[in-house]
Amino acid sequence: MNRHQHDPSCHEALDLIEPYVDGDLSADEASRLRSHLERCVSCAAELELATRIQSELRALPELDCPPEVLEKVRRAGRGEVVPFVPRSRTTGLRIAAAAAMLTLTLGGGALFLSLQRQPAQPSPEEIAQATQEAKIALAYLGKVTRRASMDLREDVLQKRLIEPAARGVSRSLGGPQKLEKER
Amino acid sequence: MRRTIVILATVLLVLAGSAAGWAQKLTDQPGYVPLGQLDLFPQDKLSVEINIEGALLSLIAAGAKQSEPEFSSLIAGLKGITVQAIPLKGVDESLVRTKIGRTVHWLEDRGWKSTMKVRDQGEETYIYLKEIDGKIAGLTLLTLSPGDEAVVINIVGRIDPAQIGRLSQSLNLPHLKQVPAPAPGKKPEKPEKPE
Repeated sequence: MNRHQHDPSCHEALDLIEPYVDGDLSADEASRLRSHLERCVSCAAELELATRIQSELRALPELDCPPEVLEKVRRAGRGEVVPFVPRSRTTGLRIAAAAAMLTLTLGGGALFLSLQRQPAQPSPEEIAQATQEAKIALAYLGKVTRRASMDLREDVLQKRLIEPAARGVSRSLGGPQKLEKER
Repeated sequence: MRRTIVILATVLLVLAGSAAGWAQKLTDQPGYVPLGQLDLFPQDKLSVEINIEGALLSLIAAGAKQSEPEFSSLIAGLKGITVQAIPLKGVDESLVRTKIGRTVHWLEDRGWKSTMKVRDQGEETYIYLKEIDGKIAGLTLLTLSPGDEAVVINIVGRIDPAQIGRLSQSLNLPHLKQVPAPAPGKKPEKPEKPE
């Protein structure tokens, strides 16, 4: 066994790091790599990085491939033609789920905005004050319309409705002469 | 597939519309008049300023349900009440008159119907109603009494004219001593019948 076999160069060591991390090296190869790493800081840093990447990859959740996809891959691998299916039963469900999510988001957003806008619960004193103010507002309205309707009754109704109506009655009863007299 | 998408889109639009309507603000109501934006009266000279809206109106209606059922019923249908009054002493009356005229145009441009216009010896009174699908959704009153006071009232929501008329006539608060009384012998020159 020569020196090269016992002490791999950095180039060779870097090639061995990945299989080492995966546990694919033989005991002899692993021993030689460890011996190199004890003396080579840069290769030791590479090992540390490879170990960290592997642990982080293993921490990721495992994703299951849908069986129908697996089946299509298998059939494609066997040289079979896999027909394109534009619509599956799950498509509608997925759209419905997306629609439900969107609706919930919109509704939740509207609810959130509405709640954000709502002031704190008013105290009984504030409600009493607001009640009084509402009455004042209505009373203002009543006062103005009452005043206007009084004027309307006294002047407008008398001059524009009652008197013309009376003249119309006179005209029909007494003729044009009597109407002329009244004028 | 296309049919499914169309149905889902329709459902979504309806739901989104409902959500938006549920969260509708007072300012989105058809009977609302943005008195602040119209800059009708100088805000620092208001003698009366009332702004009631939303949950507070519901609480007023709930509180008055037993003791004053008609008042409660009226308030329950409303979305907002705004009153602004300004004494005209020390204020440029012509400017206020101009702004009232501008507001009247603003209302007419936006489909408000004139219910009453009285101009007499310098006094002006206007009542406008906003109708949506044959129902009244807003009432705006503007009045100016020379040398005395100018008032604007905007009531937003479901309004029954008979009820509001009956109720407003029955209310006579001490506060109303400040409201300008009709000048003796006053005769309106240009009244208009309700449209």
